Amino acid sequence: MRYLRPVICSFLLALLVTTLTACGGSSSATGETTTETTTTETAPGDQTTDVTLDSPHRGGTMKVVWNGFGSSIDPGVDYDGNWTLLRITNDGLVAWKRVSGQDGNTLVPNLAEELPIPTNGGLTYTFKVRKGVKFSTGQEVKPSDFKATIERQFKLPGPVASFYAVLLGGAACEASPAAGKKCDLGKGIIADDNAMTLTFKLKHQDADFLQKLALPFAYALPADTSPKETSVTPLPATGPYMIESYKPNVEMVMVRNPEFTQWSRDAQPNGYPDRIEFNLALTPNEGTTQVENGDADWIADQIPTDRLGAISEKYPEQIAINPNPQVYHMVLNTQVPPFDNLKVRQALNYATDRKALVQLWGGPKLAEVTCQILPPNFPSYKPYCPWTKNPGETWTAPDLAKAKKLIAASGTKGMKVVVIGTPDESTTSFDLYFIDLLKSLGYDASRKTLQSSVEYPYVQDSANKAQISRSYWYPDYPAPADFLDIVVGCSGYHPNSTANPNLSMFCDPAIDAKTRAALAKQITDPAAAVPLWTEIDRLTTDAAPWVPLFVASRLDFVSPRIGNFQYNPSVVGGFMIESAWVQ
Amino acid sequence: MIGFILRRIVSMFVVLFALSVLVFLIFFATPGVDPARKMAGRNATPETLAAIRASFGLDRPLPVQYLRMMNRIVITRDVESYSNRGVRVIPEIMAAAPVTFALVAGAAIIWIVASIAIGLLAAALRGTLWDPLLMAIALIGLSIPVFWLGEVANLVTQQRWHDTPLFSWVPPLGYTPIGEDPVLWFKHLVVPWIVLSVLFVGFYARVLRSDLIESENEDFVRTARAKGLSERRVLVVHQLRASMITFVSLFGLDFAALVAGGALLVEVVFGLPGVGRLTYLSLSGLDLPVIMATVLYGAFFIVIASTVIDILYAFLDPRIRTA
Amino acid sequence: MGVAPTEPAIDLPLSPGPSRGTWATAVRRLRRDRAAMATLVVLVVIVTSTLLAPVYASRVAQTDPFRSNLSGTVEIDGSRVPVIRPNPSGLGSTPIGPTFGRHFFLGADTQGRDVAARILYGGRASLIVGVAAALLTCLIATGIGLLAGFTGGTTDAVIFRALDIVWAFPIYLLAIALSTSLLVQGLKIGPVAVDPNSLLLPILIIAVVFVPYVARPVRGEVLAVRQREYVEAAIAQGARRRRLLFKEVLPNVLPSVIVIFPLIIATCILTESALSFLSIGVQPPQASWGTIVNDGQNQLYTRPLVSIAPGLLIAVTILALNVLGDGVRDALDPRAKIRRRKRRARDS
Repeated sequence: MRYLRPVICSFLLALLVTTLTACGGSSSATGETTTETTTTETAPGDQTTDVTLDSPHRGGTMKVVWNGFGSSIDPGVDYDGNWTLLRITNDGLVAWKRVSGQDGNTLVPNLAEELPIPTNGGLTYTFKVRKGVKFSTGQEVKPSDFKATIERQFKLPGPVASFYAVLLGGAACEASPAAGKKCDLGKGIIADDNAMTLTFKLKHQDADFLQKLALPFAYALPADTSPKETSVTPLPATGPYMIESYKPNVEMVMVRNPEFTQWSRDAQPNGYPDRIEFNLALTPNEGTTQVENGDADWIADQIPTDRLGAISEKYPEQIAINPNPQVYHMVLNTQVPPFDNLKVRQALNYATDRKALVQLWGGPKLAEVTCQILPPNFPSYKPYCPWTKNPGETWTAPDLAKAKKLIAASGTKGMKVVVIGTPDESTTSFDLYFIDLLKSLGYDASRKTLQSSVEYPYVQDSANKAQISRSYWYPDYPAPADFLDIVVGCSGYHPNSTANPNLSMFCDPAIDAKTRAALAKQITDPAAAVPLWTEIDRLTTDAAPWVPLFVASRLDFVSPRIGNFQYNPSVVGGFMIESAWVQ
Repeated sequence: MIGFILRRIVSMFVVLFALSVLVFLIFFATPGVDPARKMAGRNATPETLAAIRASFGLDRPLPVQYLRMMNRIVITRDVESYSNRGVRVIPEIMAAAPVTFALVAGAAIIWIVASIAIGLLAAALRGTLWDPLLMAIALIGLSIPVFWLGEVANLVTQQRWHDTPLFSWVPPLGYTPIGEDPVLWFKHLVVPWIVLSVLFVGFYARVLRSDLIESENEDFVRTARAKGLSERRVLVVHQLRASMITFVSLFGLDFAALVAGGALLVEVVFGLPGVGRLTYLSLSGLDLPVIMATVLYGAFFIVIASTVIDILYAFLDPRIRTA
Repeated sequence: MGVAPTEPAIDLPLSPGPSRGTWATAVRRLRRDRAAMATLVVLVVIVTSTLLAPVYASRVAQTDPFRSNLSGTVEIDGSRVPVIRPNPSGLGSTPIGPTFGRHFFLGADTQGRDVAARILYGGRASLIVGVAAALLTCLIATGIGLLAGFTGGTTDAVIFRALDIVWAFPIYLLAIALSTSLLVQGLKIGPVAVDPNSLLLPILIIAVVFVPYVARPVRGEVLAVRQREYVEAAIAQGARRRRLLFKEVLPNVLPSVIVIFPLIIATCILTESALSFLSIGVQPPQASWGTIVNDGQNQLYTRPLVSIAPGLLIAVTILALNVLGDGVRDALDPRAKIRRRKRRARDS
């Protein structure tokens, strides 16, 4: 995933909390937060007590600037970064707890009355659907709506249906010819609208099934929703807000959903602002100025690096930094010279001054150096860094001597290397660093700049023979396989296609055999699979399909009138707009 | 005469047709442009891609695709964007057009008034120091890159002096429709108006001054003088009126070009959601339906303007018809 | 008014073909034009200083303005300071500001490169693109205009419909469309391949875009010359076409093209800067004034000089070219002094 999005999946954290509670040691999520967070009005009592109702902070309009607004307002389609918004307009059966800190990765029942305990050897999940919840259109939410939503998911063009292919009949839906796609999950989902029960039947065990049901793809929509993607017409909402209007690249407005009554503060708390206006027309630079001037309350885009210094000095109380496991790396195309040569890939890894790049990104508070594929805190992550002066667990300094020796041995000196990049400031600055580095290693390096809409498809297609480009990836799926089998593994590798997430074109048969074994093991014995993934991570790191650079953090900049800033660490989290005060 | 008008109109449509083909070809000659890829989202399987291609007709031969596209732009008018799936392009342009029109019309008023004032003054004060001084100012206006001027204006009004009474009234960048809040609409546009008009003030003032001075020796001016009219009256009434022909025809073309999307730099710098910005976004996003529709929309204005001016001139000067 | 309003691009003076004497007179006139001479000096200073960019970079600033210098240090007033200093807050870093001294006269950019040296190099690129594109435009346009005006008939009609198509595009939109497309693939015309990073690409794009603006008036001029009595007489006497073209038509058209040349350069420089500002002109690591304004965009609020200095230089250069253009016109055709109107790119 390469598009900027303010909130980055922390599926792994969710997993840590839910399945590996023993290692929940990833320190407080808001380690660097300077904003007064977590001063929630934690009124004791019932989950349904709506604390916003009598609060003096209720009301007002929040203004948000968001240049890189995501792809779609259709929860069935959006995969690019509107999840943080869809989270407050729509609901699934289950949800990550809507609080800041590590607790925000805990699953709680949302439109379901409680979390089900799987029966039938983990193959059947039976939910009791909450009564009396209404869509913004006035219709009541029924179990059959969920069934229709998942079926709709299969009919929409896009990659996400595979999340639910584990359901009985799911594979058939997936295989149905795309034109006039048909899908009947009658066997896999049994909805009883009278008893308000909903039963999911799985083909095989899936440890992450509940997590998948918490994703926006499974947010309930009325059963009669068109199987075509909605573009600018908002779909019915269940959450505290609904989209009033949406003009791409211009603006979007959210208002209160008149049909909303809080049913669970943990799953979907009511919001404070009455109205949320999103300005989608300003560059991040102009957006930053608006927040500085108090004309906007929050900028969803990344703050331009140049502005960080002045902002952190002038408005230290208005910024918050929270971890988010995006792994930034340079992609090396392992099938095109000179990077088809392992020595060259290793050399570039040795030569890269990761510390300087962290500084270029915005400093050590915003990024942590890494040398390997899997991000820290990921299941089966073990710190590993072969690409440093003293190889071991952590990176210390580049080893130029070693790099030069490897390049000399490779016999590729003098070759032409073209770095592919986009015109934005950040990518350009990284590309320039690597052009200089490649030049100093003896290559004839230059750059090819492509518009961001062109660049990603271009580097994906092996026919273009793109040599090296910057990219990042965050786990949108809670398994190491998302990195090791998709991004740098054989399953993700589709030659001559623009649907190829494996930009390195890296597929090593020996590693792949181990990946298959680990995947098989994961179903039968997840704990035993962990060390296997650790090994695959090391082997892949050694094969150097990437120059892993760092794991980035998220910086939020808000106006001084924002109170009660909270950051939810879940995949659909980030700055919790609904819990912030604008008055 | 009728033949001439018909010829001009036919050639107008030929130009528009050729233009649309040209844009279509430029787009499809660009590698890495795969609308299906954009629609499929990330991690799409090759099968999904093929399915999308089929359902959008992207697997058809180019001429067929071209005809389908043109049909949806011109006849059914329901063409949809590739990047923002389902967004109808024609209404999108119709929503952007008033923004551009407001920007350009306001700037045009400024540049007409200011350039006539400067041009007249300079012509009247010919021989004094004021003339070269005014012309130097006009030249400076003509030489400033508009995007840079816009940036500097933003720096001054949004940041440096934003807190001073001088500019505290300047609202944050953006646009408010006039129907929503006319005062805010005006405040939003003041700075963009000035920035956009600077270049044209310089240009038109120079043109006007030369035309005024040129007409000095024309018969009608001598006659007017001979009649004993005051210098000022001769200048303002007779000479200015005569110079207006050039002025108006230039203005027609400039205005059309700006309304057509030529104001994109100002729109981009000030975050105004007008036609120029829309075209620019679609071009950098390689969103073919929007590119086609906006470029045709823009070309339509330019071609109409030059055709109309041609025809008007043909009325005024019969020699042109044969040329 | 000899020029139809659809051809207001540049109004060419209809002068009788100049003899050798006229050229000499023109030069003499130009030398007496104090404003033109003053701006010529300004232009010479700008051109020389940009040509001396490598000398400045290596001898004075002692840096490579095209190499990122993220962790380098520099000696200022006897003490060594980092070129890019991490902020005390731990967020972001601050490049060294203007020292107005030997090193980093205008400070460093986010890559730690010397802005002053980059502006000099950038000026070189801007001027090269501007002059080369203008030359190319005038060459192509004169060729096309001559061909169309001289042959007439179908050739003329076809050429002018083709130019109409280009004409119907708002200039920047056409340039942007071409740039976005060509930056992906470069350009291949037969055996000649233009690399997307090459300065040739913006030169070609800009040149193509402005051809109609010069070709139309040139054609008008050719038509006018052809209709003159002595030319008609020569044709009637069966003069050879080629001889006619070079002896009669070209000498009459050339001064007009020369007159507009400085203005075309100015327009081309402006267009280049606008394209680079939208990051589809000159490509990094190369720099032009437009790219530096663009680089400085994010620093505009923190260190405005990075963006303001190159913008000012563009303005001064354009101003100088405009004044020089006026001078050249007055020198070649004093009658035109009062009947001048010229067109610029219509976009903003």
